[in-house]
Amino acid sequence: MSKPSLSRFSRRNFLHGASAAAVAFAALPRRGWGAEEKKLNVYNWDTYIGETTLTTFTDTTGIAVQYDLFANNEELFAKLKAGNPGYDVIFPSDSYVADMISLNMLMPIDHGKIPNLKNIDPDPNFSNPAFNPGLKFGVPYMWGTIGVGYRKSKVETPTSWGDLLDSDKYSQRIALLADARSVMGIALKYLGYSMNTTNQDELDKVRDLLVKQKPHIKTFAPDSGQDLLLSGEVDIVMEWNGDIISTMEEDADLAYVVPKEGTQVWTDNICIPVGAPHPENAHAFLNHIHDPEVNAEIANTIKYATANKAAKAFLPTEDLANPAIYPPSEVVSNSESLVSVGDFTPMYDRAWTEILAA
Amino acid sequence: MTDIAAKPAVAAAPRRRRAQITPLEYTRRRWLQIVLLANFFFLYFPIVALVAFSFNDSKRNITWQGFTLKYYRQAYENAALHEAFTNSMIIAATSTLVSTALGTMLGVALHRYRFPGKGAFDGWIHLPIVIPEICMGVAMLAFFAAVNIQLGLFTVTVSHIAFSIPFVAVVIRARMSGFDEALEEASRDLGADRWQTFWNVTFPYLLPGVVAGALLALTLSLDDFVITFFTSGPGSTTFPVKIYSMVRFSVTPEVNAASTVLIVLTLTLTVTAMVIQSRSTRKMTARG
Amino acid sequence: MQDWRRDKRAFGVLILPPSAWLVLFFTLPLAIVWVYSFGERGPLGQTLLALSFDNYGRAVEWINLSIILKSVWIAAVTTAICLVLGFPLAMGIAFAPARYKNLLLLLVILPFWTNLLIRTYAWIAVLRTKGYLNFALEWVHERIGAVLSLLGLPDLLGPFEPLLLLYNQPAVIIGLVYVNLPFLVLPVYATLEKLDKSYLEASLDLGAGQWRTLFSVTAPLAFPGIFTGLLLVFILALGTFLTPDLLGGPRSIMIGNLIAQQFGPARDWPFGSALSFLLMYATFVFLWIKAAVARQGGGVSY
Repeated sequence: MSKPSLSRFSRRNFLHGASAAAVAFAALPRRGWGAEEKKLNVYNWDTYIGETTLTTFTDTTGIAVQYDLFANNEELFAKLKAGNPGYDVIFPSDSYVADMISLNMLMPIDHGKIPNLKNIDPDPNFSNPAFNPGLKFGVPYMWGTIGVGYRKSKVETPTSWGDLLDSDKYSQRIALLADARSVMGIALKYLGYSMNTTNQDELDKVRDLLVKQKPHIKTFAPDSGQDLLLSGEVDIVMEWNGDIISTMEEDADLAYVVPKEGTQVWTDNICIPVGAPHPENAHAFLNHIHDPEVNAEIANTIKYATANKAAKAFLPTEDLANPAIYPPSEVVSNSESLVSVGDFTPMYDRAWTEILAA
Repeated sequence: MTDIAAKPAVAAAPRRRRAQITPLEYTRRRWLQIVLLANFFFLYFPIVALVAFSFNDSKRNITWQGFTLKYYRQAYENAALHEAFTNSMIIAATSTLVSTALGTMLGVALHRYRFPGKGAFDGWIHLPIVIPEICMGVAMLAFFAAVNIQLGLFTVTVSHIAFSIPFVAVVIRARMSGFDEALEEASRDLGADRWQTFWNVTFPYLLPGVVAGALLALTLSLDDFVITFFTSGPGSTTFPVKIYSMVRFSVTPEVNAASTVLIVLTLTLTVTAMVIQSRSTRKMTARG
Repeated sequence: MQDWRRDKRAFGVLILPPSAWLVLFFTLPLAIVWVYSFGERGPLGQTLLALSFDNYGRAVEWINLSIILKSVWIAAVTTAICLVLGFPLAMGIAFAPARYKNLLLLLVILPFWTNLLIRTYAWIAVLRTKGYLNFALEWVHERIGAVLSLLGLPDLLGPFEPLLLLYNQPAVIIGLVYVNLPFLVLPVYATLEKLDKSYLEASLDLGAGQWRTLFSVTAPLAFPGIFTGLLLVFILALGTFLTPDLLGGPRSIMIGNLIAQQFGPARDWPFGSALSFLLMYATFVFLWIKAAVARQGGGVSY
């Protein structure tokens, strides 16, 4: 039998291979162990940062940025709820900041490490909001409205949310957001109730309204409504203003409007979650975002309204005068912001699950 | 009545002498050929279209605008894709090594030994193969949350090993079923101890099975999406999970380019596996 | 096969490490989910341990039961279509001349070796409103319109209405058929391959037509393989998550998506755990049926 030569060869080969692999594996860079390395894990919405923001940050500080995306607040919240999987910087919206604070999920920020805080708009909505008094647990980022994006050639100018929520006029050409509280909040506003109601009857009415409308809704688009609008998959969407405005640059047939019932005015914030592996780098990042020129570049790319007053000096006047980006006071006063509903949250979650399941 | 009678008239065309189609040669009948062709078109068209449109010079990637390689370059320069790719490689390599070792041990043990409760044990071992992936994914998530292990490369690798072990065991067991125990007995009779017998007699026979199992584990790990989706954290995204994120958010030809790279990679591995397997079985049979 | 007692040490060395791994990193997680399924959900999404059957009760509430039934329906339709498409394919390969067989088999399996995610994503570009299928249909529509106008006939077809084939049930079914077809073709092929062709020839010689032979002789003989394939496709389609996630719409979510939702945005791990176990029990039931039928039919194992 000539087997022995083959078996010795293969045994040696196997041992060689195994030991080589072991050495290679041991030589791999240890992730996240030891002192704060030059890394930062950012978890943000899609298309919600400037084109050069991250590269200028890395250039000035030498910190490499790992940039992950989420589609809505629920997804962000769910990911962090089970324990911070390693994110340093997150971008939650107003009511979710309040929820996270009450659940001790956010780290208080050291204002001393963020000198650019002085650039924040002194208006109390930004410098001392109810959901984050004294900016203790985060800094404001961008703010805006939710409205209707539509294709002018296929849809007559919508004046009411009813076109999306309560009518079959555009059946199967409608896309809504996948944000539970935003969609239900706007439906509540359409029915004349408060977006933050804790009245179960009102919530049930909204649930029934949306369940009835479901056959006409093509999809609940998680942050991709503007793409569906652009590709012609749908002709009328509920979307955040900046998303639609930046797509209008690519297709002049698109437009944005806030219906007469009013809408949700939201403020997004930058926070540092508890358990962040690189809090020092996170503070440096927050500071970088509020550098006036960096901030202006972001606002100019994503077409949202910035909470940074000093940055406005660097923004083009058409944007500052654009009522879609910087809504006038009548729109704001007719609108509402979301607040935490505390113990009533499971009712909202239940209603949303029922809407999605129907 | 059979419709064979109709055939000879067709087959009698003078230019080409065609043998008469026998009743069972279904594949030679036109209608089945059409069905086969339609099936293969159905199977291949979407993938071919996806690969073709990775070269499309259009950001929205709806209509063909021209040929370009720039999205491959974009994918190549995409640091996040790179990291995802590296992670996939690391996880796949580790998972393959460990699960092949453990799976081989399991397969040999199952083949060789009789023990009480073997039937139930057998069923239990096969659970990771039959369980819906979503069930295993959420179970792993719940487990790591409960014991407070941060999601990362470790959690993904551990999960991959867990679902790969049974697959390797099945392959090894199948291979072992063709093994002639008499060879081992002969080796022992000739004075070799158990360890020597295993390495010099059993293992060489087992090797093609081990290689097949290893390649299976490798492909399972590289391709896995659902379980990885639930067990990965920032910095431990794998290639398929990153592509999913790109599909959800920014659908440009870059996604197609990244997908094509993954397709080419897995196909190359699979073809290599088959070539090695067929060559080694040919060598084995040639040898004796 | 030896008794384990004769070789306790070797047996222990071989079987303990893999078993330990599977206990720790498979059984234990499942046990945790099982415990959670009896738990309760705290107000902001925490999981509280309890001993309640509420979650299972919720699973059979109509709103969730309808999703379960919808999933069963989609899986059944998928299985039926796979049979209709896959059986001729398997027949074609099994009866192909020997030199083509392996090639044909390879061609069927090759797409299967590409990533599930990619294969599903590829269909988006085909099925969407501005997708390849609608482009092709529009082209045909235009040609017909051109021919009609050439013949001087009025425009009978009207303007082109694209087929709405994405983000709905048909899309999910097409995606599921595409992904699971090999799982039907392979077992059926394996059985047809081993079939004693003389039975078929005898049937045909005795005067039965092709279709009669197919239904009375071929199909019953190939039944084990067909049944395995059908069951495999059904189980895989039932527990799917990715296909409805990418291709489905708001009215075509399946059990897998519902479970994922509970562990994600809905933050109701106890309910998700209960659903997860219900799906697993269903899978086991179907597998047990398969084993029972296989044992009855002479124990042809795959």
